[in-house]
Order: sequence, then C-alpha cells, then structure tokens
Amino acid sequence: MVENAKFQSSYSYGFIDETTKKEIRRKMLKAICIPGYQVPYSSPEMPISRGWGTGGLHLTLSLMGRNDVFKIIDQGSDASVNACNLRQFVQMMTECAVTYDTAQATIIQSRHRVPEEVLTDQQILVLQVPQPEVLRGVERYEFRTRQMHAEADYARMWVSLYESYVRFGALMRGAGYPIKVNSRYIATPSPIPRWDTPNLSMANCLYLFGAGREKRIHAIPPHTRVEPLEFEDVRFKVEEFRGILCSASGQDKAFMDEIFDDADRRKHVINDSNFLDKVKTGPRPPQRLFTNPE
Amino acid sequence: MAYNSENDWLLRVRGLTKIYGEPVNSSVDRTGPEFASNICPESGAIVAIANIDFDLYPGEVLGIVGESGSGKSTLVQLLYFDQAATSGTVLFRGVDEGRTDILTLSNQRKRYVKNHLMGMVYQNPRDGLNFSFSSGGNIAEKLLMAGTFHVGNIRGRASYLLTQTEVPVQRMDETPASFSGGMQQRVQISKAIANNPPLVFLDEVTSGLDVSVQARVLDLIRRLQQEMGISMIVVSHDLGVIRMLTDRTIVLKHGRIVEHGLTDQILQDPQHAYTQLLVSSLL
Amino acid sequence: MTRILEVDGLAKEFTLYILGGKKIHALDGVSFHMEEGEIVGLTGHSGSGKSTLMKCIYRTYLPTAGSIRMRNGEGEFLDLAAASEHKVLELRRSEMTYCSQFLHAIPRVPALEVVAEGLLARRRGREEAFRAARQCFERLGLPEELWDAYPSTFSGGEQQRINISRAILSKPRFLLVDEPTASLDLRTKDAVIDMLLELKNSGTSILLITHDAHTLNRLADRCLQLENGSIRQTLETVVS
Repeated sequence: MVENAKFQSSYSYGFIDETTKKEIRRKMLKAICIPGYQVPYSSPEMPISRGWGTGGLHLTLSLMGRNDVFKIIDQGSDASVNACNLRQFVQMMTECAVTYDTAQATIIQSRHRVPEEVLTDQQILVLQVPQPEVLRGVERYEFRTRQMHAEADYARMWVSLYESYVRFGALMRGAGYPIKVNSRYIATPSPIPRWDTPNLSMANCLYLFGAGREKRIHAIPPHTRVEPLEFEDVRFKVEEFRGILCSASGQDKAFMDEIFDDADRRKHVINDSNFLDKVKTGPRPPQRLFTNPE
Repeated sequence: MAYNSENDWLLRVRGLTKIYGEPVNSSVDRTGPEFASNICPESGAIVAIANIDFDLYPGEVLGIVGESGSGKSTLVQLLYFDQAATSGTVLFRGVDEGRTDILTLSNQRKRYVKNHLMGMVYQNPRDGLNFSFSSGGNIAEKLLMAGTFHVGNIRGRASYLLTQTEVPVQRMDETPASFSGGMQQRVQISKAIANNPPLVFLDEVTSGLDVSVQARVLDLIRRLQQEMGISMIVVSHDLGVIRMLTDRTIVLKHGRIVEHGLTDQILQDPQHAYTQLLVSSLL
Repeated sequence: MTRILEVDGLAKEFTLYILGGKKIHALDGVSFHMEEGEIVGLTGHSGSGKSTLMKCIYRTYLPTAGSIRMRNGEGEFLDLAAASEHKVLELRRSEMTYCSQFLHAIPRVPALEVVAEGLLARRRGREEAFRAARQCFERLGLPEELWDAYPSTFSGGEQQRINISRAILSKPRFLLVDEPTASLDLRTKDAVIDMLLELKNSGTSILLITHDAHTLNRLADRCLQLENGSIRQTLETVVS
C-alpha cells in the first residue's frame, strides 16, 4: 500500500472523474425516461479492455456511494475470476462494502444473468451488454437501425424470428431474447437466458444496461411492461428442466448449469451461486417464476 | 354498371419533378425533348423528370414507355418513395380520401402506405427481395407489417400467394437465391400483392428474362390484374409488354410526357414524331 | 326511336413524321347518325375509309376534326373525339365492342378463354362464361377439339369465328364489326348473321363493314357507301 499522500488522492472517487460521472448519470436518467431506447454516452477509458465489462463498470462507478453495498456476479457466480477482479477494483476505487448476498446488495453488477432471488425497490441491477443493438443481426448499418428504431420499423426483426422458427423449430435458440419494452422499443436484455427474461417485466428494481465497447446505455425502469417477442401461435417459453434436480441441493425451479463430473457423469447444479448457498442451508429465497403457455 | 365520375381517380399526379444537382430557375425550361437533353446547360443540374401530370383510375393499367434517360423509372421511384421529389403533388385515394399530398407524409405514414396500399415489383429481384430470408419470409415481411402476427396464418397466406403466382409451395422455405430469374420475379409479385393493395408498380419486370419466361410472367400479371382488379403502372421500354398489359400509355422523352393516350391509339395512330419512331421500331 | 350515335363533320388526316411529315387524308367531313337497335352497313372500295371511320368511332384513331357523339347507358351524350381516356375506357369496358377483321389474341390463350374474355372482364363467374363460349362455338360449328387449342394456329375462317364469338358474347350496346363473314361458307355465314340479328333484337346497335351482298341484305337496315373518305350515298336496304 502506497503511503505517500500525494499518490493517495490521484484517483478520483470511483476512478472516473466527477464531470464524466455526471454525464453518465444524466445519460442513465435519459435511458430511464425512454425505456428500451439506446442512449449514446462517453464510455471513458478504463484500466480494463473493452469486452471485459467496461459498460457495467461505468454505470456502477457512476452510481456508487460510500453507503452502497456492492455485489458482482459473472454468469451467476460471485467467485469467478472476472467477478473477483472487478470487485477488487470497485472496492478499491469507492471504499464501499461488498457482499455475496443478493438480499444485502444495493448495486448488483452482472454478466449474462439476473439473480434468482427477487430484487427490491432499493436495488439496482447493472447488466453488461456486448451488443446493445438488437437489430444488428438483420441490418448492419447504424444509420438504418437508428431510423428503424425511430420509426418503430421492426418488420425485419419479426421476419428473422419467423425464419428461425421455420428453419429450427424455435423462435430463438441462444441467449438474449429480444424484448419489447413499454410497448415501444425493441431491445436486447443482454445475453441472459430465456429463464431470466420474464423477470424484467413489472419488477420493483431498476435494470440498467451498459455497453462500453458500443457506447450505449439503455434501461428498464420499475413497473415497466416487458414482452418477449412472440407470435400468437408460437409463444415464448423458458427452459423447462423437466425432471431435473440440482445435484448439490436437491432443489428444482431454478436455472441449472449442466456439468460433467470427474467420472464423466452428467449433472445439473443451480447456476446462481448465492441462491444455491441459501437453498442448501436454509429456506428458499423468494423468486418470480414464469409458467410456460400451452 | 355504375359510372365512375371524373373525380373517382385513384391517383392524381400534378407537376411531379425531380432534379439532381443545383438547378437554376431556367433549368426546367432549357431541358427536355426539344433540347434533346436532361442536363441544364447553365448549372449542370440533371432534370430527370419535370411537370408530370396524369390521373389513374381504379382497375386501370397505365403504361409508361420511354427509352434510357426518359425518366420512367425515376417517376415510379418517386411514387413509391424510393426517392424524394423536388416538387409536385401526388394525391392518393387511399390516403385521407385523396386530400393529402402523399409526398409530404411523415416517414411512418409513408411506410404505412407502402405496406398496405402499394406494391412494387423491381426489375432486379434483389431490389425487392431479401435474399437472406426464405421466399415465404419475404412475403411474411409484408404481412407482419400489416399486423398479422400468427405464424400459421402467415404461412397459409404465403402458400396461397405462391400458388397463385405458380411458385412451388414446397420451395417456400428456400431463399430466392436458389430460384431462376422468372421464379424470383414471381416471388416478388406475390410479395407485392400480399396485402391486396389497390395499386401496384411494375418496373421493367421482364427485361432481361428469356422470352418464354417473360411470357409466363406477363400472363401471370395479366391474370392477376383481371382477377383482382388492381390498378397498375407498368414501366417498360418494350412496346410489346405495353400492348399486352396496359389500357393507357404515357410516352416519356427526356423527362417529359410527349404523348399520352389509349394504348391501342398510341400503337396504331401515334401523333408525336417520337412515338411514331418508337412504334415503327417494334420488331 | 332514340338516337345512339351522331357523327358530325368527322375528318381524319395522318401525319407521318417518319416520311418527313407526309400527310394522308383518310376521312373528309363524314356525317351520319344511328338509331338504337339499327344495323347500319358501311360499304365502299378498299381504301375508301371504312375501317378508318370505324376506328375513329372506337377511338383507336384520334379524329382530326368533327365530333362523334354517342349516348351511353345513362342517356348522356359523350363526344368520343374529345372525351378523356378514362371515359372512353369505361365505355369500351361496358358498352362498346370493336371486332376487327383479324383476330388479335395472345398466342398462349386457348380459344375458349379468348372468347370468354369479355365476360370474364365483367367479373361474371368463370363457369357461366365458359358455358356461353361453348354454346357459341357449337352454333358456329367450331370443332370441339379446337376449343382448348391456341387460335394462332387456326385457319382464317376458324379465327374469324372466334373473333366474332368474342364480340357477340360481350353483349355490347354498340357493336362495331369489320368483315364478320369474309372467310366463311354460306352455312356459317348465316349462323353468324343469325347471332348478330339476335343481338340486334336484344337492343344492340351495330355498325357493320362488309362487302358481302348476302350479309348486307340480311343484316343492314341502312347502308352508307364511302368513297375517298366521304359518304357518297345512303341506301335503305330492302328487308328480305
């Protein structure tokens, strides 16, 4: 630890300078006012590369105060190497408290998962987003996608869903299911599994999405209707995990990881590590579960 | 049979003009068929079309004939909003009962008009179809834009349209890239009529196709027009196509209308020297 | 009797720019009128202007001077020489049919469909249209094996029967017909004439070009003889 007083104050609080933090907060407010709309922002340089969570960091550091409690997960795990590195960085830059416990945190930064435990109106979830432009797959030009969003011209998005269904029998196969936010903008929820997508709708907490490399912020405010894109006769369905129990806790009704143990046996374990810890030792934390339509 | 009065037009075009570049006041007056040029001698602006007036009535087929540089494709592109007009008004019965100039509509309303009230078949299928989607998907795009969000209904309607245009339904899920030129055009036609629009534009749809293929596509267009009573604007440099499909014809030269009339009259009793030249050049 | 057609001072001059602006005078001040239900014959040598006159009335040719006033189904007179394209198209679609000397048909359409064209265009049921077409063919003695064949390969007489069938089936109020019986034998000629008389009895007015005396005698109430683009004389034919 360097004790020279001159160096101790060389970083501003939260690493990013106050003016830039102010700009980022303003952009967040704008994103909250226009749910689902991608707001461009400055995306300042960070001491980690693009593609490693700079967007999430920008939002976290701009929001963090000395009384906040910070949790960070990477694909559900608090203990993964990236989560640990970012946690250390944020703690060093903001002198905040950190926790693994979802219920204790005030700001949660996450890569590609929404925590199983229901979040309250005192919590903010910051999601890291690789590609914020949901239409990029069907239109490669930025000026055209901007026009499509402005005019709500989403025909091509719908056709790509139709094509996917016709070719593969499913509306979408991967993560990051497209959503319609507040009946206006179509957005990406970041590459979260389908299991998590219904959690975004009519929640008590605030969802923020930061894409550092692409320099965009979008948001889903509390109590906002979020609808995954679906057809009248081909509906959105979450993963079912029928008949599958977590091998570590014996529980079901949570998003499972599929793992192969040392004896090459196929097992499933609850992905959200803090949720797993809680169900192993105590009562099941409250969740919002989605029932698939017929 | 009820008589359409003169006021029952479907489309009314007045003073439609498109100029590229920076025109001066005299640009329009110093270009045209008398000058044998589209280019303004003073400013270098290109007057693609100028002062185009015509009416189109429901169920009519209007032909637009001209050679290269006549502006015929430009005219249709302006009407379909592919390009912005320099001046002029276009009234369309389906929009505000013909009281609003559709050239002044917002982009969103223009898109509504394009999806619900108009169809377009381009000369090059790549302009009208998305080759990364299946042919059914291309038709689905129009149906989705019109508010059909039911996969079963979409596929049903797409199958019906493809059958109408003699495209094998088993190939519905293939991309048009694997189709022959004639079949690609027929997919374009299905897409254009998907929402039963009152007006369809056909821009040189058979140029470049083999003659037997051309005949088949034209027969299809004729049959669909008779069965559905769609109004059409058919652009062609080929008078044979005009003769086969159209009721009335406009002859364009250097961006101006030099003659217009009933198609049989244009072909058998052309009045203007240029029209006589065109007709005598029929093979 | 109500007047259906009034032609007044009709003149037609062709200007051929390809030949350096050469002018050809085809019609010179033709005036006549027709009552509803009349059959008027046009006779004269080749080049006297009969076809030109007919085409002017149908508006295939644009008259250079004069007026052609026709009464439409609603009792209004329309000057075809000056009318808009739209009005003329309306008239052609619903009331006026022109049957030229030669069959003009798309080579790929079978005979039955060519003939049913007029009825199909008026959105009658396909079944009804084809039934009427078949009946017409039977009366005119067109062999059944030809009904689904393409007319472009038919003989002159066969093509003519298809041509006239198409015109008759469209049941116009006003029919312009150019040489309907030229290549036909006597029996078929009479069959065609009978069909035209039936049309007349149902109210159709017919303007007829023919050089065949038999046809003229059986059909025409009056006869206009053209020479060098104007009417030389009018004859009342004796009804036989």
